[in-house]
Amino acid sequence: MKARSSLEREFLEKWRKGLQIGKEDSTILERKDAIKLSADVAIAATKNAATHWRRALLCDVVSENPTNKHVVEHILGHKFKNTATRLTACSRRILRISQKRRQKAAPRRVVPKSRKRNRSRALRMLVPGGEEMDGVLLLQETLDYIVSLRAQVDVMRCLASIG
Amino acid sequence: MEPNVEAVQPQFRSGISGAKIVFDDIRGLIPDPPETDGTSFTALLELPPPQAVELLVKEDFPAKTMPLPIFPSNIALIDRASMFSVFASADNPPDRTNIFSASSSVKQEPLESEYHRNSSSPAVSDQSLKSIKRKEREKKVKESTKKSKKVVANEASDGSGEQLPYVHVRARRGQATDSHSLAERARREKINARMKLLQDLVPGCNKISGTAMVLDEIINHVQALQRQVEFLSMRVAAVNPRIDFNFDALLAVDSESSIDNSYLGLFPPSIWPEGQTNGSRQQQPWLIDGLHLPSMGRVDNSSNFITPENSLLSYDSPANSASLHSSQLKIEL
Repeated sequence: MKARSSLEREFLEKWRKGLQIGKEDSTILERKDAIKLSADVAIAATKNAATHWRRALLCDVVSENPTNKHVVEHILGHKFKNTATRLTACSRRILRISQKRRQKAAPRRVVPKSRKRNRSRALRMLVPGGEEMDGVLLLQETLDYIVSLRAQVDVMRCLASIG
Repeated sequence: MEPNVEAVQPQFRSGISGAKIVFDDIRGLIPDPPETDGTSFTALLELPPPQAVELLVKEDFPAKTMPLPIFPSNIALIDRASMFSVFASADNPPDRTNIFSASSSVKQEPLESEYHRNSSSPAVSDQSLKSIKRKEREKKVKESTKKSKKVVANEASDGSGEQLPYVHVRARRGQATDSHSLAERARREKINARMKLLQDLVPGCNKISGTAMVLDEIINHVQALQRQVEFLSMRVAAVNPRIDFNFDALLAVDSESSIDNSYLGLFPPSIWPEGQTNGSRQQQPWLIDGLHLPSMGRVDNSSNFITPENSLLSYDSPANSASLHSSQLKIEL
């Protein structure tokens, strides 16, 4: 039997669950979208952890297309309330201002701050829900996110290579 | 002097039982057992011997019985005690601690414990600590202030959230004791710890020094993983004509094909379209006919052994192909 970690097995189960309710799609693009959707929701539903990126990913999925909500709920197993919705633009601006003020108090480093800030901004855009995290939380979430993405890629690669 | 007395006094009065518990815990941390060497202690502290010995030997501090006139001398004791930390890190020179650990240990612990207990008034403890430090500098008995850093938290290595109600941070030698910079230092330490974990996770980051480059690598890695997900979902869609396929059968086949995946994982670095080696067992022709990838360029039709990375490279050439190349290389390694 394959040496699959518990995370991957859980992801596979949830992914299968999500795909079961998918309708018959004709074009390959629609199929791909449905597959990707199920995979993303499944990886966000793993581990029962309430990390920021998981919640943000689910919120994004639901807000992108309201019909996705029943997929989400089917995979999750319970009702998904949009309580952890993403911040509005105004509140986001407030967050950024407070973060900037906090960082100004610290002594500066050798690497020009602009480059570091650009990088952290890039990372924030990549990780779902990254805009509202501060430095420490961002790295933490990135860690978890990378682990989950890896599991997702491994399982999908297996599935894609067979058959 | 007066405000200091008032500041210190309520702290001694409150939480005596808690002080005792913390005292016991903290005593376990001290490598050297506190010695009650009265003579050297008093000589240095210039205190009347009976008072000094009394303070040393006493375990709990019933503040009610302590008469008020003792407080000025207590403050002097506190000054010296706070100068020399008991919770010294490994780099604490031994010559400093052995004499004064005795004196400082007894007094420092209740002092610290009071600071710990007074979570509601961190400002007060900060101010009193600062005032005490100022007095130290004025008196200048021994060398400059040396403290150790102790963070009361358990940092989970798997990246789960910290529950820190209150961070106890003390300044290192020669560094600013400003509360802002202390907090900043704690934050930076946290960030560095996380960064180290990320370095272990992302392949190829161990050799890179400097957080900026590591961040670059992390960003590349995440981008590449996301693109892989996108692409693999397309492959899965292509492989299976219907969504409603049997996962169980696939799982069974899954176990057989574990060897193939090891091949996939161990591709040699040269994965550009021309240099594609036949390491994989993918014999199926890539379903390119009628395949229109959204916002993706022309897919290379010429080769039958197009791997995900290959086609990614071919269509992603206009935009930052260099970073993509390096990231793909790193993934496959």
